[in-house]
Amino acid sequence: MSIERKFQVAAYVLFIAVIFAAPVFGDEFWLNRISKYLVYGMLGVAIALTWGYAGILNLGQGLFFGLGAYMLAMSLKLSSLTSLQQGSDKPVPDFMLWNAEPGAPTELCCINKGSFLWLPFQSQSVGLVLGIVLPVVIAGALGMLVFRKRISGVFVSIITLALVLLVRLVMVDAQPVTNGFNGLTDLGWLTIGGIEFDPYSRATYYLCAACLSLTLIGARLIVETRAGMILQAIRDDHVRARYLGFDVSLYQVFFFVISAGIAGVAGMLYVVVAEFASPTFMDLSFSVTMVVWAAVGGRSSLLGACVGAILINMIEAEVSETEALVEAWKAIIGLIFVLVVLFMPRGLGGVAHDVLRWFVRRRKPGKAFPALPQQSEAL
Amino acid sequence: MLDILFIGLSLGSILLLVALGLAITYGAMGVINMAHGEMVMIGAYVAVLSGIWLKASLLLAIPLAFVVTALLGLLIERLVVRRLYGRLLDTLLATWGIAILLQQAVRLEFGLSFFGIHVEGLGAGLQNVAVPAYLQGTFRLAGADINAYRTFIIAVTAALTLATWFILYRTAGGMQVRAIIRNPNMAAACGIDVKRVNAMTFAFGSGLAGVAGVMMSGFKTVFPDMGTTMVVDGFMVVVTGGVGSLFGTILSSGLLGEINALVAIGTNDILARAVVFGVVILVILVKPSGLFSFKGR
Repeated sequence: MSIERKFQVAAYVLFIAVIFAAPVFGDEFWLNRISKYLVYGMLGVAIALTWGYAGILNLGQGLFFGLGAYMLAMSLKLSSLTSLQQGSDKPVPDFMLWNAEPGAPTELCCINKGSFLWLPFQSQSVGLVLGIVLPVVIAGALGMLVFRKRISGVFVSIITLALVLLVRLVMVDAQPVTNGFNGLTDLGWLTIGGIEFDPYSRATYYLCAACLSLTLIGARLIVETRAGMILQAIRDDHVRARYLGFDVSLYQVFFFVISAGIAGVAGMLYVVVAEFASPTFMDLSFSVTMVVWAAVGGRSSLLGACVGAILINMIEAEVSETEALVEAWKAIIGLIFVLVVLFMPRGLGGVAHDVLRWFVRRRKPGKAFPALPQQSEAL
Repeated sequence: MLDILFIGLSLGSILLLVALGLAITYGAMGVINMAHGEMVMIGAYVAVLSGIWLKASLLLAIPLAFVVTALLGLLIERLVVRRLYGRLLDTLLATWGIAILLQQAVRLEFGLSFFGIHVEGLGAGLQNVAVPAYLQGTFRLAGADINAYRTFIIAVTAALTLATWFILYRTAGGMQVRAIIRNPNMAAACGIDVKRVNAMTFAFGSGLAGVAGVMMSGFKTVFPDMGTTMVVDGFMVVVTGGVGSLFGTILSSGLLGEINALVAIGTNDILARAVVFGVVILVILVKPSGLFSFKGR
């Protein structure tokens, strides 16, 4: 094992140990907040996977996050107390009844034109399964369309950006079915195998921590497979990879789908922790913000992007609660962003790597510690 | 029917003013300027402020906004964009940061609100701009009621588009810009001061966005976040039309404006925007280089 490799393994082990040890340090409310940051950390990993490793800048990752969130939220909405107590045999979302036309039946099948779509969500497992399947299927279909046509670079970004905004508008417009701008609030708790995941419980925190750890380790393992190596080759020079006989689009679709799946799971976890789903998940600013986290943390480092996401959100929460900085905080974030892009293009992950390299070279001049390859500018 | 088409044309005009700037900065310089929408926002605020503080009409705000946003664009190019040439996606991210900064600057009244100083016209609230009396009202043309202010928007856009065309195709500077669009390295090798021309191009594009902001302030409320949707729409136009093609940008802004207006009449504004996004996605999927991209490079 090379010395660089040892440090990497140590960093992953340390990070996972820290997030599992966190419950010792705070109460339930603090843990609930940290759970949200862990979910954001998963989004950071998803972005790093496509952006850093595949060279695809997805400006619509919020689409997959939002779809995952809405799928589970619909299930949880139907298992909430308010939905159960609407006077009909089966649960009905309260907002549908408020907005129903006079004399409309109070059954889920036919309150309004689209309400039958909710029927499958009476079971929580349907929401759980669809929360990952739908993002994966949509990412697969989109990926096939886009990468088969060899669309690359900024055009992929524009397509994903347009798609997330399109879906957001449709969701808002389908007010009778999705509750429009208000989103889905007042949700029940997720129940798996008899365990109820109260958002303010340790069980929920550990669920998030476990999902993040699995995502990190899984993503790390997958980029170290042969497929991952080929993917990086494609990122660096897709024409050459194509000449070498690799089915470039296949690899791109595969990693795009994985990234979407991670975002879908993150969306579901967010709903469990935050107890709402809203169209703001599909705002342009949210999708770009995720990219910011990854850029600050280091786009070509899975752990770096994850830590970047968690760190920025922790600092943001801290500063936005400081009276004097409530309004200025956003401006500070904007400034940090400009400065990071200008002076730290490889993010915190790159800086950590350089510091380690310098340190190792001083202490053990004989040991090899390769420099991080320059970020490909073809992106 | 004519009045609907006319509304579409005026929507397309605003889009065109925004997209022209994006098209030349992206086409010539390979810079995606996400802060472009904030230039629109600042242009609108120039109209608001000049109305309040100078008691000036909307007409005077047009040259004023052009100068203010062009200078701001020059500053941004000097401070940030200049260091990022050749790093396309990094320009997108850095200018997004600038966009947030500018929005917050207006919201916080350039930080003066921390000292309890309030600048009338700035801040987080909504602002309105009065349209001069002679631009209000409608006139009848071929059996349809035509809004005078919308006519004015179209006229200003037409004039500015012509001016842009003239600068690009009939002046020495414009020839340099077109050379840079075709091949920046070759242009530099031929003795063109690429940095200087790029800075000028960026400033000019920003200025056009500022004018678009003044136009918009006449029929929409002005608020700090208004730029974000504009930059997205502008980008859709540029990509649909074909990067580096002035003609494509003009045609696609008209096309998207009309689609927006026609669908909005049939259904509602939200769905109309969704349909526009759908059309853009389809265009990129079918013709990734846009409807009117030029061959070569």
